[in-house]
Amino acid sequence: MHNFADYYFLGKIFKPNGYRGKVNAWLDVDDPSEYESLQMVFLALNGTLVPYFIDSIHILNNKAVIRFQDFDSIEKAEQVNNAEMYLPLADLPKLSGNKFYFHEIIGFVVLDKTRGELGEIRQIFDYPNQAVMQVFYEGKEVLIPINPNVILHLDREKKEILVDAPEGLIDLYLS
Amino acid sequence: MSRSLKKGPYIDIKLEKKVMSNIDSGKKTVVKTWSRASMISPEFVGQTIAVHNGNKFIPVYITENMVGHKLGEFAPTRLFRGHAGKKNKGNK
Repeated sequence: MHNFADYYFLGKIFKPNGYRGKVNAWLDVDDPSEYESLQMVFLALNGTLVPYFIDSIHILNNKAVIRFQDFDSIEKAEQVNNAEMYLPLADLPKLSGNKFYFHEIIGFVVLDKTRGELGEIRQIFDYPNQAVMQVFYEGKEVLIPINPNVILHLDREKKEILVDAPEGLIDLYLS
Repeated sequence: MSRSLKKGPYIDIKLEKKVMSNIDSGKKTVVKTWSRASMISPEFVGQTIAVHNGNKFIPVYITENMVGHKLGEFAPTRLFRGHAGKKNKGNK
């Protein structure tokens, strides 16, 4: 039995492609080209993750045409239609420096350049064009934009993030 | 129908005044606004604008690729937490 918490959402199959068992899938990743040599994915079927081996994958922008092993008819492709695709978190390449995965920094302590410790990151909201981290400071929700100009340093060992919150941002939430 | 070119882009007067005073004084103080329909002009780049989404203020750090869009586009009114595996575009 696979635990969904150890996997990340790769995308979703949205329709069969042609009559020979291929499927069209939408990829929810930053760089789809990194998945051009993908050999296996886990499909969420009936609440469990089932491994499916890939014969061929063709990626165009954030969409992929995938042929799974032993899929030779549209009937087989329809069986996995609308299935969500997952990959193990352990397979993600390690990031260094100030780059990080959003799921990686949940629980990290946010230190502001002027105010000091703000609190732990509870959630990341992935808004269009930017993401924000949610921190509770003095019992109030504070949202801090995730931006190279705001994040000064990331310490993975201490689980701390040093930020330079824009002037007046924290006061905005405290008032 | 699109907005008449004669009128120019719509930017809330109070918002524009606050951002301009920020720029003139060289500050980067967060400006809060309810004006989601205001267009982002090139002068806004580098400023942080707290846009109200009907519930709370969402801080929007203005970057070059946001110019020409409206502020409301970056402060969704519905909650979506995103998926694991997404990474930030750090500067290293």
